[in-house]
Amino acid sequence: MRQTVAESASVSAREITIEPVTRIEGHARIGLRLDESGNVVEARVHIMSMRGFEKFIEGRAAEEVPGIVTRICGICPWQHHLASNKAVDGCFGSEVPPAGRLLRELTQVLAHISDKVLHFFFLAGPDFFVDSHQCAAGNIMKIAAQAPELAKRVIEMRYRGQMMLEKFAGRSIHPDAIVPGGFSKPMSRPEREQLHADALDQLDFARFALDFAKERVFSRFDAGLMQLGEINTGFLGMVNPEDGGLELSDGILRLMRPDGTFHEFLGREYTDFIGEHVEPWSYAKFPYARAWGEGFSMLLDDPRGIYRTNCLARINVADFIRTPLAQAELLEFRSLFGRPAQSTMLYHWARLIELLYACEKVVELLDNPAITDQHVRNDVVPKAGRGVGCVEAPRGTLIHDYSTDENGFITRANLIVGTTHNLAPINMSVNRVARDLIKNGEVTGEALNRIEMAVRAYDP
Amino acid sequence: MPDIYPGFEPRILAFTCNWCSYAAADLAGTARVQYPASLRIIRVMCSVMVHPSLVIEAFERGADGVLVMGCHPGECYYQDGNQKAKARSVAIEEVLAIMGIEPERYRLVWCSSAEAEGFACLVRETDEALRVIGPSKYRKDASKYSKSELIQCL
Amino acid sequence: MSLTLCSEALSGCSGCEMSLLNAGGSSLSLLDRFDILHMPILMDHKYFDSSGGTQEIDIPKAGLGLISGGVRNEQQLRIAEKMRRQCDTIVAFGTCAAYGGIPAMMNLFEDEDLFRRYYRTAEGTDAAPNPLQVIPPFLERTFALDEKIAVDFILPGCPPHPDVITSALESILEGKSPQLSLLSVCDSCPAKREGKGSAQRIRRFVKNARYQPDKPISEMRCLLDQGLLCMGPVTLAGCAGMNGGPPRCIEARVPCRGCHGPVRKGGNQILDILNGLVSNGIDTKNLPDRLSLLRFSGAHGRIKRRSAPKAD
Repeated sequence: MRQTVAESASVSAREITIEPVTRIEGHARIGLRLDESGNVVEARVHIMSMRGFEKFIEGRAAEEVPGIVTRICGICPWQHHLASNKAVDGCFGSEVPPAGRLLRELTQVLAHISDKVLHFFFLAGPDFFVDSHQCAAGNIMKIAAQAPELAKRVIEMRYRGQMMLEKFAGRSIHPDAIVPGGFSKPMSRPEREQLHADALDQLDFARFALDFAKERVFSRFDAGLMQLGEINTGFLGMVNPEDGGLELSDGILRLMRPDGTFHEFLGREYTDFIGEHVEPWSYAKFPYARAWGEGFSMLLDDPRGIYRTNCLARINVADFIRTPLAQAELLEFRSLFGRPAQSTMLYHWARLIELLYACEKVVELLDNPAITDQHVRNDVVPKAGRGVGCVEAPRGTLIHDYSTDENGFITRANLIVGTTHNLAPINMSVNRVARDLIKNGEVTGEALNRIEMAVRAYDP
Repeated sequence: MPDIYPGFEPRILAFTCNWCSYAAADLAGTARVQYPASLRIIRVMCSVMVHPSLVIEAFERGADGVLVMGCHPGECYYQDGNQKAKARSVAIEEVLAIMGIEPERYRLVWCSSAEAEGFACLVRETDEALRVIGPSKYRKDASKYSKSELIQCL
Repeated sequence: MSLTLCSEALSGCSGCEMSLLNAGGSSLSLLDRFDILHMPILMDHKYFDSSGGTQEIDIPKAGLGLISGGVRNEQQLRIAEKMRRQCDTIVAFGTCAAYGGIPAMMNLFEDEDLFRRYYRTAEGTDAAPNPLQVIPPFLERTFALDEKIAVDFILPGCPPHPDVITSALESILEGKSPQLSLLSVCDSCPAKREGKGSAQRIRRFVKNARYQPDKPISEMRCLLDQGLLCMGPVTLAGCAGMNGGPPRCIEARVPCRGCHGPVRKGGNQILDILNGLVSNGIDTKNLPDRLSLLRFSGAHGRIKRRSAPKAD
């Protein structure tokens, strides 16, 4: 079994390839180049594949697109589903009735829960839970062997989250219940009661997860981990337009500089604030903050236009969190790490704070009696238009930008998916870790795994 | 008139309904009415029995042309089978367009049991049309046939 | 009984792997019965060691190879071929592997059109030439797995239902062939059918279906009868799992779009649905965007390139 565990090459290798980057979603290769002295001169994260969604949705009937673009990602399909529907609503000028809005937000935020549980325990977690000398051989099966009760509970909770979506909306993976103009079916009172009971269990679990993590994982974040892949960047996330509170579903976008100052803009203005740069060695593009007027650079000693998204970014840009338990956690977090917090490993902490928020928010939405109102969709009339739909996906700000012709068919589309915003920062973090841990040709399995840990923190 | 695709002999598959068009083909045989030898006939009870996927499969396997032949409207042995076959043609034509198969290659035609000459005429017309457009690109040996240089110069 | 397992994901979305995890507690006990040697989403086996060579992809020998996603680029082809050489049994896991899936919609367009759009004309993008370094070049189109390697079983679905996945894997563990349904989605759909011919034309899904919200689906009129395009008749059953539940999209009161692929291997979903519609006297002329009917089964040459995309 070939693994990168405890492999040490004392002869300086010219190139080192880590592929596939494991325990992430998607296909990536990390390429490191060492010079004659065995020191890292180049570190790149190559995104190795592309499917072309923004091209092949051209010519499609716009109301069909939300059921197609879910297949961009099997872990976060609800995010694409909602953003796409919002874009189509923009094109068609449709208004969503209140119950439709509530159901949309409910399902989208509920989807955040399973995603975060998956990431912390199944994907990134193994790096923290298994014995440290086996750090490169961690996986959920080993956790199950070493801590069976924990594994059982985690799997059960993730399963419950998925089943909440499935029982109400038919499907958890690749949904079709959100539709232009609203939602495909109303929620009944029995459904609401059952979901409410499930949601309270999820909330319990989120509190457990955060306490567990603080005790067993974050308390062991030594200086090495806190500085792992440390870079100084700006942040992008969605906030409430009135009070700057954290938002995942509907809001405006806030683009913060490393010094804490920020721009705010509506989704449809995104091209004025975000540009995308192409590198010849990656299929995916590199978004950057055009609004800062400094161009784009990923050089560690001269970063330009670099910002991050995803949970650390969101809790940095938000002024506060509206739900009480998560807000208390946020205050504690800020007292320890300030605002904005830059350490890459803190993504894991931020992720669990957001998990708590998502669970509280789901309970709050289910507490709202209007959610069982039967009018959930307004009829829509296909027409020419342009719409930009934004949501906060677990991986970052998701933007679906469509135009339609007079028959309501897509004429052009532009998509920026959540993870893409983080590609430049991921490259920089990898560069940082590689240079810090690989010197004079000494390449250990632990160093290689730490490089991947820096990637995994972003949950790409 | 020189051959546009020298050496090319169109392979035509005809689904003929038992009561009308197959009888016509039979009659053409006994009456010694000439029609192109490249025709292969499959007898079905009614033109409606020809599922569109059979037509598509024929093309995928390299037929240059496919004919579905039924009774004249109003004369179907099973009342309205031929009308349904006509409706199904819509589906066939759509999919052929997606496959990039020229519309001249597929025809749904009517022919009564007495029309031996009519049958032969339909087949000859199809054969001539196919000689003009050449072999189907799905045909395995399609690359063997190219437009004659004389025609290319015209 | 235990079996060694390698799993790869090619041009897909990880949804199939997520569906496997959606079996809840059974997922873990099932995974436990395999000795997993390679599965990038869950564990850390790598293609290359750190000495630098990237010529030969390392995938260990195994009894079972699960491959999700279609084949889009040269690296994915190499991975598929290596998996075939190393694994005794290959399962095409999910609709992308079995039939091309959604990514095969790209077969309608030229790759250069995609690159021009993505790298040069997309809003906000700083125009640049196509990336060419290190990343694997595209093949001429997206392929289903069995167009490139021999496949022993297919497990269609986008994604397949967790119970169907676990049942298939259990069969394989017992040395038996997985059994798929032989029927269409309609077979598992309880909606009311009142004979054919009531719908004259298909309407776009811009208005919800007609149903009583507090009544079960068995009281809802069949969506095709209501004039909504439902691909149920031409799609393989299985999305409802093994316990007799209704098709999942119908549960959401949304028409089926055919994500399990054709009812039989080699079936043509667009041909079958058009045939079904016209045979029932439904005017298909106002069907918007017919090519979307092949959105899950566009490999095997079904979706072909056009020179310019039309809004049809």
